Amino acid sequence: MKNYTQTSGEIGDFSQLPIWQKYAWVDLLYVGYGLLIVLLVFVSYILGMFNWLPYDPQQINMDLLMAPPFSEGYLLGTDFMGRDIQSRLIVGIQAYFLPGLLAISISLVGGVVLGVLSGYRGGKVETVITYFTNLVDSFPRLVLILLVIAAFKPDIYYIMVVMGITGVPAVATAIANKIRFLTQKNFIEAAVALGLRTRVIIFKHILWYNCRALLIIQATLGMGEAILLETSLSYLGFGVQEPVPSWGNMVQSGANYLLQGNFWPSTAPALAILFTILGFNLLGDGLNNILEDRRGRS
Amino acid sequence: MSAPTTQPLLKIDNLRTYFYARSKHSFVRAVDGVSLEVGHSETVGVVGESGSGKSIAAMSVMGLISSGPGVIGGSIRFSSHRVQRDLLEGLDNFVKVEEQHGRVMVVHKDERGWQKASERLMGSLRGREIAMIFQNPRASLNPYITVGEQLTEAVRLHTANKSRKAASERALYWLEQVKIDSPKLRFNSYPSDMSGGMCQRAMIAMALSSEPSLLIADEPTTGLDATIQSKIVDLLEELKSETGISTLLISHDISVITRLADRVAVMYGGAVVEYGTARLVLGTDASIKHPYTAALLASVPSELRIRDKGNLQTIEGDVLDTINVPPGCRFYARCNQVTPEIKEKCATQHPPLREIAPGHQMRCWRFSS
Repeated sequence: MKNYTQTSGEIGDFSQLPIWQKYAWVDLLYVGYGLLIVLLVFVSYILGMFNWLPYDPQQINMDLLMAPPFSEGYLLGTDFMGRDIQSRLIVGIQAYFLPGLLAISISLVGGVVLGVLSGYRGGKVETVITYFTNLVDSFPRLVLILLVIAAFKPDIYYIMVVMGITGVPAVATAIANKIRFLTQKNFIEAAVALGLRTRVIIFKHILWYNCRALLIIQATLGMGEAILLETSLSYLGFGVQEPVPSWGNMVQSGANYLLQGNFWPSTAPALAILFTILGFNLLGDGLNNILEDRRGRS
Repeated sequence: MSAPTTQPLLKIDNLRTYFYARSKHSFVRAVDGVSLEVGHSETVGVVGESGSGKSIAAMSVMGLISSGPGVIGGSIRFSSHRVQRDLLEGLDNFVKVEEQHGRVMVVHKDERGWQKASERLMGSLRGREIAMIFQNPRASLNPYITVGEQLTEAVRLHTANKSRKAASERALYWLEQVKIDSPKLRFNSYPSDMSGGMCQRAMIAMALSSEPSLLIADEPTTGLDATIQSKIVDLLEELKSETGISTLLISHDISVITRLADRVAVMYGGAVVEYGTARLVLGTDASIKHPYTAALLASVPSELRIRDKGNLQTIEGDVLDTINVPPGCRFYARCNQVTPEIKEKCATQHPPLREIAPGHQMRCWRFSS
């Protein structure tokens, strides 16, 4: 059954509507779930930072190796060295939080600068930027990361800087294309004719109002990608190094005991990865739909 | 201050705006020696087919031509009560034109320098002294910002109302002035929630909010449906009588021009072919008409002709290709009033714009002897 309700304010004034009537419930659900995950990640980060944990994540308990979940105060059980999985999960987010933000910031800032230059300026600048993005794009990301690790050391920050730089082309291309599309529309010309300054047009009218959904998507996808990348690198043994916990190396070390029937040491971080990445991606998707709303088509 | 009232508000003299057709290695002479005047509190209509260069001329005045070579010569004297200057002053330093037999062969242009200098000349005038409204109003508004917010931005930029509250009150006042229905509601609407006519009203409000000296209306009714078109014309007519704003009105719709313009310039192939008071140029009683104007007027469907089931008259041939401009009269190939005596002259010599009666100029060999 469908319900059709008229607003209480002036006819057609959608600003009067309560938020759940203004937007599709799926989008609100996505955003709600996504925000919950972001909150959890943030709380975990704070807990880990101040060491407010049930156990020391690195403390080895030889009496309780491979304790199953819900046993004797160990909510999620212990791993093969008797370390508390719950504490390690919470601390594990440390490996992603700041490095992930760093990676996102690098790709967003770099991408926006290059995208605006190439889309708004055009000409030679655009050619040079296209060469740069093609160059970065043509390099396999994992190989580049392994090279950097070989040259320096396997540090999550090095990995994330590389990830940020390799994320620049995607953002730059998206922004440049959007700007090229927008400048064909009259309203940029109308804004110039109205006497607006170029920087106002670029920052307010193009970037803030027309590209923010795109940037949010890129940021949330980037965060999910950062976690995935660390996981794959951990599997190769190049991610965050033991004994410092990360979700990636927890999955990796737990996987050795999977066939013995001890599934929890790797399942817990794997599920954490799954739900977190899902949360970030859905958050981006939902926010995009809400911000784009009906305005895109005109 | 030299009395600005003796000077026309806008005096375009021999304006030339060219583009470059890369594939043909030749210039597109979009605007080729246009001279026009807009007096104070006067509406000048520019009429012509698509491709006659009327919009490009208007955009040249605004300094909005960014593709090359663009404006390469001429002067645009602007003299309002607040500002008197040549909008192309000093810009010829950035352009070097090489001509052969009166034809432009090579243009050297320092586009960066030109753009910067133009920006310096135009920056303080755009929106404040000269405002512009465009065709297709929906695309001229930012789709992600409410109309009220965009209007407020314009008000804050150009008037003394700097505080957000005062500016939005002023913005609302202008929405009321353009007779948009339920202005309070529209203030919070996005362009996609409004019809084309409402968007154009909002654009007009935005243009007028700074109380500019000159309004350039570039095909303000194009892209709207017929009933809305006439309402927009009504509005422009009312605003004209209320505010006395000078307007440069560009349209291919003769009925719009007849209703609003005091003086009319007829453009063909990048040049003005007839220029004079609206009554002399478009009036039915006027006996002397440029062959192109006559043909244009004849192709307007009239009530009489529809009743007689007469065929709709058209102008034979295509609009002049401004790449291969013939040496003679630009309308020669399509003209139906060529007489054997002047045929030779029409084909080989470009007729000058001559005054044939007080306040009536024409570019035709028929009326120049």
